Amino acid sequence: MLEFILNQLYFDNILLFIFSTILILSALAIITVQNSIYSVLFLVLNFVTAAGLLFLLECEFLSLLFIVVYVGAIAVLFLFVVMMLDVKILESPKDLFKYVPAGSFIGGIFLIEISLVIGGTFNNNPYNHTKIGSQLSNQRSNLYCKLDFFTDIEVLGQILYSYYIVQFLVAGFILLLAVIGAVVLTMNNNSQNTKKQIFFKQISRNYKTVLLT
Amino acid sequence: MTNLILLKNVVILPELFLGLSIVYLLLYGSIISTTKTYPLIQKLILNISVLVLFCCIFLLYNDQVFFIQKSLVFFNDTIICDYLAFFSKTVIASFSLVCFLMINFYLKDQKINQFEYLIVILIAILGFFLLCSSNDLITAYLAIELQSLAFYVMAAFKKNSSFSVEAGLKYFVLGSFSSALLLFGFSLIYGLLGTLNFEDFKSLWYMQLPGNFGDCELLIKSSFFDQALLKLALVLVLVSLFFKLAVAPLHVWSPDVYENSPTSSTIFFAVVSKLGVLVLIIRMFQHSFHGFIYTWNYYVVGLAVLSVILGSFTAIEQRKLKSLLAYSSVSHVGYLLISFSTGTLEGLQSLYAYIFIYMLAGLCIWSIFLMLRSKTFYSKKHNKDLTDFTLLVRSNNVVSFCFAVVLLSVAGFPPLIGFITKMGIFMSAIESSMYFVAVVSVLTSVVSTFYYIRIIKIIYFEKALVGNLFHPLSFIEPFVVIVTFILFSFLFINPTLLYLVSYKISLLGFM
Repeated sequence: MLEFILNQLYFDNILLFIFSTILILSALAIITVQNSIYSVLFLVLNFVTAAGLLFLLECEFLSLLFIVVYVGAIAVLFLFVVMMLDVKILESPKDLFKYVPAGSFIGGIFLIEISLVIGGTFNNNPYNHTKIGSQLSNQRSNLYCKLDFFTDIEVLGQILYSYYIVQFLVAGFILLLAVIGAVVLTMNNNSQNTKKQIFFKQISRNYKTVLLT
Repeated sequence: MTNLILLKNVVILPELFLGLSIVYLLLYGSIISTTKTYPLIQKLILNISVLVLFCCIFLLYNDQVFFIQKSLVFFNDTIICDYLAFFSKTVIASFSLVCFLMINFYLKDQKINQFEYLIVILIAILGFFLLCSSNDLITAYLAIELQSLAFYVMAAFKKNSSFSVEAGLKYFVLGSFSSALLLFGFSLIYGLLGTLNFEDFKSLWYMQLPGNFGDCELLIKSSFFDQALLKLALVLVLVSLFFKLAVAPLHVWSPDVYENSPTSSTIFFAVVSKLGVLVLIIRMFQHSFHGFIYTWNYYVVGLAVLSVILGSFTAIEQRKLKSLLAYSSVSHVGYLLISFSTGTLEGLQSLYAYIFIYMLAGLCIWSIFLMLRSKTFYSKKHNKDLTDFTLLVRSNNVVSFCFAVVLLSVAGFPPLIGFITKMGIFMSAIESSMYFVAVVSVLTSVVSTFYYIRIIKIIYFEKALVGNLFHPLSFIEPFVVIVTFILFSFLFINPTLLYLVSYKISLLGFM
């Protein structure tokens, strides 16, 4: 038993525990912190730790995608939007637990249903009868990587540009449509109402009045 | 797999042509419309779009490779080319061509002057094309995303109307929720089965055909997972696709979106959008997962009866024509799902006949709705209420006659084609022993006749002194209406053509 636990405590696994602890704590902090900018920053931390977890699972492409898309684009965009909207800090600790009973009830029912279905689905793990447990799969995939060294990104690129070329083009069309739609729906042709930076207002902003304090 | 991108593999030539023309039209329009005089090129782009769609139909007819074999798959088995895809694409292209012709004056009246509107519509049509010929989950999901994203933009396009913005936002939020459900279901299916291809699904689950008890059943039972999670995934996919079709408990978005978005978008939502999603449902559930028919059968029958009842009874209350048509489309999708849930060849055949006639009737009704532009209102208001058609017979006899005939056909009156297709639905339900469903839907069909006849009463027999005055009609719009009107009476006298086509589709798509 002790041997098994020691086997589990590889360096990978220690990192795994650290990352998942940070992930859960930051996810809790996102919804409990009152200041919305801190909340978005915790969201960034959440994405970064999720990317680290994916690195440990040897999905380099997905983790890089997390960093580039979620952290680089979406979270920073959130941050800009929150800073621009000038949201006031809500002092409402009373409302915090108002939705807990109903939400946890519905969420608990859904969780039980899904976990019943999933638990009933995968009855026998083919690696389960060995003593070393889940370690077997890790070693095997490591060996495979050494034999035939392709990173995720190379493999995905080769498949994406050859077998799934049509799907790649359609994804490009979706992005084109998103650009067209965003430009058309937001462009204002009459020039009176365009948003401009008012220099006086901008300069007279004090760091004490902004949200970050 | 070495001959991956050869010219003989380009069966997606219509899609390729449409996509390239979209890109060229976008470049052309953005260069022309930003020159010094800022010319309005709406009419120009509209005519070119009609030409492009016509060329797409020509290209579709030009390479009918499925005459060589029953069905051919290309591009790593992700694109299928069979009679179902061919016919659906032809129908979608021709119907949207007619819709393009009809929305010309509406765009002019409502001052929707950006040419991007037409390009967004073309992209939606491209999404439908890909949806009809998709043979795996990734392609299907991307195509659905493409068309629904285009539809959100189309719903919100009239920026100065807050109704339109609300419709777009509502459609966007609810539609992206249903897309998330769809993606969840697809990912569960991929995680369980390890493949994305519809053919592979069929090979995996073919031995699970109902009635095939024996060793195969034991094999399935002793396989390494039970099918509960797969059934959950199938239900999630069904829920999401039913949302796109606006089946009864998930229909709440459709009257609001139909009512509030500009009518030139609504004609596309109402006429064109149903067929593509239906083709995907048929490919997935009749073709690939037909072994699970006794799983999804119950959900589908229940939702179908619910939507027939709800669509028929709620439409009585409506005072506006657009939301009335939205509720009536809910009940029509219910009829479609009744024949879909039988899972037989006859059910599939009557489904195709019904959807074709439904689209034709929708095209005719919405065309009349779009082309009657009232003189008495100020130009921004388009005819919306039922009472706007008061005594239409005095001002335009022929159009009101066509309107009445089409409404009677939709309601299912005997000397018109709508009667035959609706009877086909009920017959297929009775043949697969769904007597209760057939009786309930026949009785609700009587209820739904009420509001169609009420429109006819408003047009013909209203006790009013004056009706509305309308602008004179141009050549092309009454032409479309007359052609569909002739089809309605001709197809009743000789429905062989319709039956032949629908039977061919049902045979080839099923096997």
